[in-house]
Amino acid sequence: MPTIATVVLVLFSAILACVIVVRPEITVTRAGKILAFGVLFFLPLFSLAMGMQDEMTRSESTAFCLSCHIMESYGKSLHIDDPSYLAAAHFQNHRVPADEACYTCHSDYAMFGTIKAKLGGLRHLYVYYLGKPPLPQDIKLYKPFNNQVCLHCHLGARSFEEGAVHNADPATLPAIKANKLSCISSGCHELVHNVGHWGNVKFWYGKE
Amino acid sequence: MERWLRISGVLVIAGLLLEALCLLWSRPIAFVVLVVFGGPLISIGVLLFLYSLVSSSRQPASPPGAAPEK
Repeated sequence: MPTIATVVLVLFSAILACVIVVRPEITVTRAGKILAFGVLFFLPLFSLAMGMQDEMTRSESTAFCLSCHIMESYGKSLHIDDPSYLAAAHFQNHRVPADEACYTCHSDYAMFGTIKAKLGGLRHLYVYYLGKPPLPQDIKLYKPFNNQVCLHCHLGARSFEEGAVHNADPATLPAIKANKLSCISSGCHELVHNVGHWGNVKFWYGKE
Repeated sequence: MERWLRISGVLVIAGLLLEALCLLWSRPIAFVVLVVFGGPLISIGVLLFLYSLVSSSRQPASPPGAAPEK
């Protein structure tokens, strides 16, 4: 359900609740009691659930992540016109959904991956508003990037399974799959966002 | 019961208005405001409404002025 429909539902619920506040005596009748139950129990909880669902969905969007000033350069890195930049290559070629680019790569796909991502987001907010936020180029992952995030899409793909470098040593592919050899930090695909070290890169914003 | 209904209604309205603002205010902090303030306001309002139902059902249904049963 789009946000505007949820807002309409929330405001409609609030208006009906106003009726009960202004004229509570209408709840003396049976119909009034049913109205009060709908207005002060069912509708508020339903509206809250819909609102939370909307917020959760919105928090997965690229625009949501980039709405923090500190993330601006990370958003810009998605438009670097150089395929060796991993994040830019994935974003520009739609290997990840463009409108959920951050969330797709920075939440794991395990059972509680979404919850962990939300808790991580709350931690970001705490640091941003109440702590001392680092400079964009000093931002580090809380823990090493998990290969399983990459393998969620690349596992079984021909380019991954039959890639020359991946098969140069028979131990490489099993090590990658077992998360013992990092895709990102083992020197193979380490150019990801590289914020603060771009030099004279060009940017690609697609056809306007 | 009416007093509890009014308090419950005011809390629910406050929570719903806060929720509407959070939905229109597309910033990460809006999510926190909804979780920390909007959700609890609505929840407390709903709980007070349920309490008002329970407390009113406990009261005797006899009309005012009626003689108590022996």
